[in-house]
Amino acid sequence: MSFKFLEAFRFLKKDAFLHNLDPRSKLILALVYTICSLLFTNIIPLFLLFLTLLPLVLIGKLSKEWFKSIRGLSFLFILIIVLNTFFLSFSYAIGMIIRIIIMISSFSLFFLTVDPNELTLSLISMKIPFEFAFSFSLAFRFVPTISIEAQNIIDAQQSRGYELRKKGIIRQVKNLFPLLIPLIICSVKRAFNVAEALESRAFGSRKERSYYFTIHYTYKDWIITLYLFVILILSILVKIYFNYLPAWLSWSLPI
Amino acid sequence: MNIVSEPLPLIMMNNVNYTYPNGTHALKNISLNIFSGEIISIMGSNGAGKTTLIRTLNGLIEPKTGLIFIENDNIKSKTIAELSTSVGIVFQNPEHQLFSNTVQEEIKFSLKNIYSDNEIQEKIDETLKLFQFEKYKEKSPLNLSGGEKKKLALASIICRDPKILIFDEPTLGQDENEINFLINLLEEEKKNKKTIIIVTHNIEFAYKYIPRIILMAKGRIIADGPTNKILSNESLIKKASLISPQLNQLKSKLKTLGVHIPENIYTQEAMTTFLMEYFKRK
Repeated sequence: MSFKFLEAFRFLKKDAFLHNLDPRSKLILALVYTICSLLFTNIIPLFLLFLTLLPLVLIGKLSKEWFKSIRGLSFLFILIIVLNTFFLSFSYAIGMIIRIIIMISSFSLFFLTVDPNELTLSLISMKIPFEFAFSFSLAFRFVPTISIEAQNIIDAQQSRGYELRKKGIIRQVKNLFPLLIPLIICSVKRAFNVAEALESRAFGSRKERSYYFTIHYTYKDWIITLYLFVILILSILVKIYFNYLPAWLSWSLPI
Repeated sequence: MNIVSEPLPLIMMNNVNYTYPNGTHALKNISLNIFSGEIISIMGSNGAGKTTLIRTLNGLIEPKTGLIFIENDNIKSKTIAELSTSVGIVFQNPEHQLFSNTVQEEIKFSLKNIYSDNEIQEKIDETLKLFQFEKYKEKSPLNLSGGEKKKLALASIICRDPKILIFDEPTLGQDENEINFLINLLEEEKKNKKTIIIVTHNIEFAYKYIPRIILMAKGRIIADGPTNKILSNESLIKKASLISPQLNQLKSKLKTLGVHIPENIYTQEAMTTFLMEYFKRK
């Protein structure tokens, strides 16, 4: 098991179309795709929805990072296939995998292209109090740090004979304790350290703030928003009139 | 004619290269031999490749090219769990491994896969005694001080009795008593014929207690040999971004004042004797 897939949720500085958009339009993108994917369980509508997301990955020049995030979560896909095939059907499992891929991809696009500083600004522009906006962007900034720390914990435990893979679900769950407890403790400690460091630098001493950077919703953001709006409306219409639409839309695997 | 065969190295690294996924070429053509019972320090600036090097020894990092042999076995054929019985690494941050409810259980976790239940209790008692943890055995590891946590991380590796012990920055954040404890422990492990590798920035510690040094810079080994000789070489020290040992600084200052210092002065005691005689003569 590796936590390297978390790196696909880390901001990557690039000069590309998606990077230059306003963080708010990218937040809308993540939310629209998440909502739309939750509307369906059939393979075809979910696959079509996934196809509408692919051009964004390509124009964002993020196909390598996106593929890494999907590959890193392959263990989750195996779990979904096993559980859903056992309790429901294989066809349903495939639908769920496409749904998860859409959700992960949309949020991966968001995290890969939004600078943590811009995220704070966009949340503030959405009338979220500065303290909350700052905490959120700070949490977001620590994703790669936690990923590195998790890998160090795995290495430290393996050095004293810890085996990552064990047979049996109960043993596997018990096996997570040597990794999760140090990770939680280190994360909580870091949170306290960051809080103390912030307070020692007079965080929150002034209610009125000024900002060095500003964000603007440009015509490119409006184009993307329109594209997303069309996808959302179409998805809702397909969901409402699903029974009246051609039968191929509800196609499923025989198992 | 008597033919005396040279002993085979315990660790053999041959042209080892490693590049991180982000493109950092951390190890460049590393070749070295380490013999059984040696105590070695690996030194160099941050990012020189020291930690990457030790991680290749127990399989945490698999070299892109090159071979590593431990006890004549190519480590490629072994799992990390198998290697951990002969190579024990004590990491820099003890908090990355402490998770049990008590100190005793923390040690027990390290022993579970190698000893039987009867042996485990015996080993725990032995380790608690060796590390003076008897009074803390029911205490949570998380409530220990920083130095004690580091000591517990050390105990949880030493109790496994590996042939090769690797310490990553063992003196970092340690007070004098804790460093003295570490020195005594090294002496003890040396008597037990253990091979010890220490990654450190503490040049005074290395200069005083470790006979062989491997200097690294930018992923390469730039020097490998007796500590006192290598750490007396100013250009090597500069190349490895280290600070010269105080004794060497004193030697060069005295030389600039016109005092002729013999080359074979490597210890504080030798320097004190020399200076006493020098002032007597004056």
